[in-house]
Amino acid sequence: MNRAAVVRISGCVLALGLALAAPLGAQAIKSSFNRTVIPPAGPTPALHVPAWTMTTLPNGARLIVSQRRNLPLVSFSITWIGGADQYEPADRTGLASMVASMLQEGTTHRTGDQLSSDLQLLGTTVNTSISGEDGAMRFMSMKDKLAPTLAILEDMLVNPTFPADALERLRARSLVSLAQSKDRTSVLASRVFPRVIYTTAHPYGRSVTEASLKAITRGDVVALHKAYFTPGHAIITVVGDVDPAAVRATIESALAPWGAGGAMPDFDYPAVPAAKGTTIYLVDKPGAAQSSFAIGLPGPPRSTPDYMALQVLNTILGDQFQSRLNADIRERKGYSYGVGSGFAFGKGPGAFRAGGDIVSAKTDSALIEFMTQLKGVRGPIPITDEELQTAKDLLVQGLPEEFASVSAVNSAITDLYVDGLPQDYYQRFGDQVKAISRADLQRVADRYIDTEHLAIVIVGDRKSIEAPLKALNYGPVVVLDTEGEPIAP
Amino acid sequence: MRVRRLLLGAAVALAAAGATVPRPLPAQAVAVAAKAAAPSTINIPFEHYQLPNGLNVILSLDRATPTVAVDIMYHVGSKNEQLGRTGFAHLFEHVMFTGSGHVPYGLHDKLTEGVGGGNNGSTSNDITTYYEMVPSNYLEDALWLESDRMGWLLQALDTAKYDAQRDIVKNERRQRVDNQPYGRVGEIFSAAIYPKGHPYSWPVIGSMADLSAASIEDVKNFFRVYYAPNNATLTIVGDFDPAQARAWVSKYFGEIPRGKPIVRPGDRPVTLAAAKRLVLEDRVQVPRLFIEWPTVGTKNPDQYALDVLGAILAGPRTARLTKTLVYDRQLAANVSAGQSSNEDVGEFGISVTPRPGHTLGELEAVSDSVLGRMRREGPTATELQRAKAGLELDFVRGLESNLGKVFQLATGQVFYNDPGYYAIDYRRSQAVSAADVKRVANQYLTAGRVVLSVVPMGKKDQASQAAKSVPVTSEGR
Repeated sequence: MNRAAVVRISGCVLALGLALAAPLGAQAIKSSFNRTVIPPAGPTPALHVPAWTMTTLPNGARLIVSQRRNLPLVSFSITWIGGADQYEPADRTGLASMVASMLQEGTTHRTGDQLSSDLQLLGTTVNTSISGEDGAMRFMSMKDKLAPTLAILEDMLVNPTFPADALERLRARSLVSLAQSKDRTSVLASRVFPRVIYTTAHPYGRSVTEASLKAITRGDVVALHKAYFTPGHAIITVVGDVDPAAVRATIESALAPWGAGGAMPDFDYPAVPAAKGTTIYLVDKPGAAQSSFAIGLPGPPRSTPDYMALQVLNTILGDQFQSRLNADIRERKGYSYGVGSGFAFGKGPGAFRAGGDIVSAKTDSALIEFMTQLKGVRGPIPITDEELQTAKDLLVQGLPEEFASVSAVNSAITDLYVDGLPQDYYQRFGDQVKAISRADLQRVADRYIDTEHLAIVIVGDRKSIEAPLKALNYGPVVVLDTEGEPIAP
Repeated sequence: MRVRRLLLGAAVALAAAGATVPRPLPAQAVAVAAKAAAPSTINIPFEHYQLPNGLNVILSLDRATPTVAVDIMYHVGSKNEQLGRTGFAHLFEHVMFTGSGHVPYGLHDKLTEGVGGGNNGSTSNDITTYYEMVPSNYLEDALWLESDRMGWLLQALDTAKYDAQRDIVKNERRQRVDNQPYGRVGEIFSAAIYPKGHPYSWPVIGSMADLSAASIEDVKNFFRVYYAPNNATLTIVGDFDPAQARAWVSKYFGEIPRGKPIVRPGDRPVTLAAAKRLVLEDRVQVPRLFIEWPTVGTKNPDQYALDVLGAILAGPRTARLTKTLVYDRQLAANVSAGQSSNEDVGEFGISVTPRPGHTLGELEAVSDSVLGRMRREGPTATELQRAKAGLELDFVRGLESNLGKVFQLATGQVFYNDPGYYAIDYRRSQAVSAADVKRVANQYLTAGRVVLSVVPMGKKDQASQAAKSVPVTSEGR
């Protein structure tokens, strides 16, 4: 069935119907030309992928430089490959983020207040972060502020003092944020879903807890900083209005005190737990106006040869406004303000996840639609040529947006090295997407959207939604607490 | 997943409309200065003209990326609604995506997102805006799409799709307000600060009851009054051929007739004679204190000093409230403060989250002492310098985005009748003095304010000055 075409045709019929039911016609503005003709698109603009150079500095870090001179701006970053999942002890979740925050708290040359003040006077901030599989220090500056900002970044990187009182303050703040985050059904769904599909034996299944935050010591902070912020697994990227020849010298000299050493981390994750039959996991949020859904299972890593096919498939299923999920559950049924799906491609088995926030009274009805659409792409609702073409057009013609600003170019280039992709990836992207066939989509849907082994996490008002969910008979209904632990029925 | 068709609450109205790029500097012959001053980074070259039907057209070239952003900003928002029909301007925005006379439902998305671009709309108290971001070769399609719903929306109106959109908007309200911790704070302040019937006294999202009451007849009347070319500004920014664009604009929009003159709610400045104290029990685990004062809108130059005051009070760790409450005395987990300017009036607000063991009463008392000192002494030269040092970078960063420039130019036209107003804005921000900041702190942050304590269910005693605080009614008063 060509679903998109059916919608379009019924729209046309309707418009005609109103025009013909005609006293109304008197109100319509007369046009001097036929407005039903869709203007033909002009010739597709040529793809311009930015050029860059990649060299290795004496300290072992790689340096990427790309010039872009239309505005006097520079985007600078140091990206570290590997993150909390590689460097954080299992019982210290939240430590890596804490270390990133602690870099803002003062150096041997500047107090935290002085760091903040000096950066404000340069009109910028240096952002520091460590997430699951990578970390970064980054800033954007006017081109004449690159060198002074870089000097402050170097101070933060090399000379942090990690004051004990700052750790206590950040710990207290994190504990309040954690408590507040549990007031939100969507956050709870994001917390419980990975616990269920990976368990805490896998880094992907862990999240920050009160106990882990309370366990972090200053010694942990110092140790992770020492192990992590080394040049050996770092990529330095500078994009913008710079002289490529001169900027390498600027960076080398600014980062000279950093020293050398460090190596690429291993990404050898434990095996994911054996898949269970499709199960509904219910977390109670009494009185919630909406139920938050997270439906899915572990998926393939970024390196999978199925990556492009999965991108096309997911674009059709849940990653555009007129995706099957959003067109059905939001636009046709009106159950939600927006739903979707995605693959968390990483170094390991990142999850496939579909979901969104659903009005409480339609929790069961919406789950029927989710299941219909997830099963649908596996065969019962065949993917049409038009759906396939639109998804490819969306991906291929959207590529120039990846290069629309200095920070976008920075990410686009850096990501190639973080993900281990070829240098001509963007030049070949269009052809690779265009080569995907309906048979490819069928194959990857069968393999990765395994509707027999889904974890269906729903956070909502148990009193009103539990019985209707049980009545669907999609699988057992297991009630969990906000930490993802089963509670007695 | 992307959030689409978003609604802008009062607090962020200008963030999307004007301030994706920041609030900028002062006056005198600015249009000339902006165009002539080549060395300045504060420059968006543009061309502005009007069609005979009153449609304002702004064109601005940027060849950096082969894409183009098209926006139509209608000068209508929730302030144009009637009591009993709150939320209608925003609901109408959703109706604009259900297809029009010659454009079947779904095609709009296919010709924008489906070709690698995007589209969206947003509604604030003052404006409703619609945009497409597309590869340059789809510019004509974007103009065709926008002109069709400006001229022929009613020819495709369909009860079923209208009802679905109304349900979607109710879900939007649930997601943003009812199911969101502290989500009702915005509408409670609107009702508490403005007198009943004031155009800013109800929330942009509206009430559930009013949304239920809105009929198709309301849609038609609203469309005929407000969705006419003389109430709209069309802005095109990106990589395109200007002569071709002008020809297409004439072809697609030229034959849509001018509408009737529009009666707008006038400026109605607001002051509060005395403090109001409210308490709201919410499904939260951590209480939070909110304080707001009525201030000025985009027409009043004091907004610039109020913006600077906000930056000096909260944000970076050196900001006064942040430093005192979060760093030095460690009473709070976080604090925010700032001015939010709507077209006619605005508000200045503070919110503070306590650390365990500290009360909202303590936070209010310490905040008041910090504010008292600011009123007495004003800011230091360094504080002023820090607050303004980032303006240039923020502005230039904004120049990287077609859509950012669209909003700068379009709001300049809609609110000030000058697409080049961004340069005045920039100069006025840079010109704010320590004396200005001290003066506005004294003039606006007075005893006439609303203090709202949001507390966990059953914990009204956790409110600041609990005995004097009145529980919020269902109307938010």
